[in-house]
Amino acid sequence: MPGGAREVAESCVDSLNMELVATYCKRLHPTKPDLAGRRIEAIGYQVGLQLAERYTRERPRFTDHLESIKFICKDFWAEVFKKQVDNLKTNHKGVFVLQDNRFRWLTRISVDALPTTGAQNESAVAANAARASQAAGQYLYFPCGLIRGALTNLGVPCAVSAEVTTLPACEFNILVLKRVE
Amino acid sequence: MIVCVAVVGHNNNPLYLQSFIDDDNTLKFHYIVHCSLDVIEEKVSNSKRAGVNLNETFLGLLYPTEDYKVYGYMSNTKIKFVLVTTDQDSRDADVRNFFRRLHAAYVDAASNPFHVPGKKITSAVFAERVGNIVKSFGAPAPA
Repeated sequence: MPGGAREVAESCVDSLNMELVATYCKRLHPTKPDLAGRRIEAIGYQVGLQLAERYTRERPRFTDHLESIKFICKDFWAEVFKKQVDNLKTNHKGVFVLQDNRFRWLTRISVDALPTTGAQNESAVAANAARASQAAGQYLYFPCGLIRGALTNLGVPCAVSAEVTTLPACEFNILVLKRVE
Repeated sequence: MIVCVAVVGHNNNPLYLQSFIDDDNTLKFHYIVHCSLDVIEEKVSNSKRAGVNLNETFLGLLYPTEDYKVYGYMSNTKIKFVLVTTDQDSRDADVRNFFRRLHAAYVDAASNPFHVPGKKITSAVFAERVGNIVKSFGAPAPA
């Protein structure tokens, strides 16, 4: 087999992401944002399954859930987003919070700021932040699915949600589901 | 000589089973692979209980039957690969190498967007790759 992996320009991934959100949220299901979100998340789920298969190829098995989550934070994140997660918090009861201060797929998003006059400064700033997190939230469905798919394939059934704090930082909440025997 | 290669999913559902001798008795191989699943489960849970963190993917010789030897390998995603061979003296390194290549072929087949996870692998490319890996198994080591 000839050496050297094939490469694709990252702008293709960015464009595909933007088009994915635009198609599902504006064209296919404009009146049902939840349905659009679930569809995108399902796509991310399958991709996450396959990526987990690929990135855990040479590694020995993980002992427990924490190991799998650490794998996601370090190796998986580094392969997909070219950096590691900045902060991992847990309450040791099955809830994990992954914080990324500069989420790669959000770096190209900006929101038009509302004009701020002197007196209404604070409320305008808060309104800006709210609009930013709502607009950017749509772009986080796919990464949520990615994480859920990868963890499910590693044997950690979970539910993943995300929120944008301030662009381009965001947080992913992972809730590990107890398996019902 | 390798007689059978099988891939089993994480719910113990068969994903791929191919026999390489002209015997029409694939049912016998289904049975052998099914029995070996129990041995795999036992090995994995044993290594957990004994405190030996043997998190190896390669599980080694599972059990020898009258004329076959069965080797097992389990990936991180609980996909199991089973190899049935009649060789009396296959080298450990050869078998590990075989499983490594098989895992690579499986990952490529699973990345196919038309492949439904959990259903049988129907890709002809995968079948061909497995055939090639089997053919080059046990090639004599360079002197």
